[in-house]
Amino acid sequence: MSLSNPTAYVDELTGENTDTDKLLVHLGLFTAVLLMALPILIALLVSTQQRGVITSPADLLPGSHMVHNYYTVMTDYNFAVYMWNSFVMSTIIVVGKLAISLLAALAIVYYRFPFKNLMFLLILFTLMLPVPVRFVPLFNIVTDLGWYNSMLALTIPYLASATTVFLLRQHFLSIPESIVETAKLDGVGPLKFLVYVLIPMSKGMLAGVSVIMFIYAWNQYLWPLVIIDSQSQQVTQVGITLLQGDIQAGELQWSIVMAGAIITLIPPLLALIAFRKPLLETFGVQQK
Amino acid sequence: MSREIYDRSWVAYLLLLPTLVVSAVFLYYPAARAVELSLYETLQFGTRRLWTGLGNYEFLLTSGDYHSSILITLGFSVIVIIGVMAVSLAVSFLIYEVTTGQASYLVAAIWPYALPPAVAGIVFFYILHPSLGVISQPIEALFGVNVDWFTRGGQAFVVLTVAVIWKQIGYNVIFMIAALNNVPDALGEVADLDGVSRTQRLLRVYTPLISPTLLFLAVMNTIYAFFHTFAFIDILTQGGPGGATNIMIYDLYRNAFEFNNHGLASAQSVILFLVVGALMFLQLKVSDRYAHYG
Repeated sequence: MSLSNPTAYVDELTGENTDTDKLLVHLGLFTAVLLMALPILIALLVSTQQRGVITSPADLLPGSHMVHNYYTVMTDYNFAVYMWNSFVMSTIIVVGKLAISLLAALAIVYYRFPFKNLMFLLILFTLMLPVPVRFVPLFNIVTDLGWYNSMLALTIPYLASATTVFLLRQHFLSIPESIVETAKLDGVGPLKFLVYVLIPMSKGMLAGVSVIMFIYAWNQYLWPLVIIDSQSQQVTQVGITLLQGDIQAGELQWSIVMAGAIITLIPPLLALIAFRKPLLETFGVQQK
Repeated sequence: MSREIYDRSWVAYLLLLPTLVVSAVFLYYPAARAVELSLYETLQFGTRRLWTGLGNYEFLLTSGDYHSSILITLGFSVIVIIGVMAVSLAVSFLIYEVTTGQASYLVAAIWPYALPPAVAGIVFFYILHPSLGVISQPIEALFGVNVDWFTRGGQAFVVLTVAVIWKQIGYNVIFMIAALNNVPDALGEVADLDGVSRTQRLLRVYTPLISPTLLFLAVMNTIYAFFHTFAFIDILTQGGPGGATNIMIYDLYRNAFEFNNHGLASAQSVILFLVVGALMFLQLKVSDRYAHYG
């Protein structure tokens, strides 16, 4: 017991920071993340097999039908089309949201105009109106516009984004006033200011918001389910439900359904892994 | 404010126009129309309607089925909130404490944030399938229960809840790790010196310090349980068996699109709006009250 090193003394008392303790922390964490990944790992294994019926532990070894299963689900079960539709939908939503939210945040932070606070509140208040709160009328309006079964129906109603405007406003307010003053003295117009000053200074935040919005758009389920009817326009989330229908009709193997689930997961998962840094930073800002 | 370097009001409104138009047409107008529709009774599968005043609300508030849907939604939300926050707090604290491999553990814990609910639903449907389930058979062998959630309401509720919690862990860990990293090192070290065990340190020192984040997450998790769990239910249980998982949003969907009862569905929309309103108000209150934590 050494009194000259109080931390070591405490470690002996509590048994922490010893090798055993470190090992226990790793063991606990490893078990936790393994349990979280387990359902997906099983799905991944099953997606390589011929049938996907597990009767013994030996069936949990990787099978040889991976290429065949993924090819089948992409072609025979239309997932190439669904994935493409999901990708187009998500891209339009992300780009559209960013574009019109940048303009709105530019007005709200750098313009003096009447009823500014009211306008900002009107934008923020839309947070209280998720799809279920306006479900039936939204369906009627979009149908009346002739957008039923179209990409317009999947994207345009989603373009206004209170979250994006709010986050961009917070970020713009953190840009030093001296830079803004310089722009004013140089007589830079608003669009040039946006393109050459604000956007370059907001790259991290824009990347973070884009990932959040991409994941959000990609994972939409309820709205496409009701507004899209034809298989050629459908998105991959609802495609999974269609596979489920096929399997209950006894027409298909579980290994092919799991292949559909895995490819639906890949784009948002890759986006999260690739852009985890800006994503975490953006959420950090939202918290304050 | 000296940031307001431009002053042509019409340009400002031009810049706001796209956001305002989309908000008006696809958010405010339908929300107002939902209030209007909720005052009509829908007849003949939506082809005719009849003024009924508060009739739809009266029907809902006296309907035993809707009462049980409300109770199920509340019970479901409470279990989801407590479950996801307990698991996430434990995982986050371990990641915070671990010295090597922290970055890898973080990714391995936050990835469910990207998990599509439909994928989570179908994977759970398969691995827990009563007759071919990969996981259900070991569970039956280990715990001596008969896994049969296609016909037993209680089991269906448990399967749904576990899947819903699983997907939400990532979001919670993201915010909890950020909050833990904001705790001044000195505070943690003092607790270390006092010889407090790890569990005690988490519960007595860190949990109170990150309580603003925990309250924020409690509100966000409630919104998630109420509004973002539709795909899980549609794929796993379709509200059944016997209404055991028929939470409010699923009941609303069925009234709107299975039974074409638009008036009743709109009244349910308005009731859900009051729920979101109350939650948002609570969140503003909470964040005001704890603003001094920074």
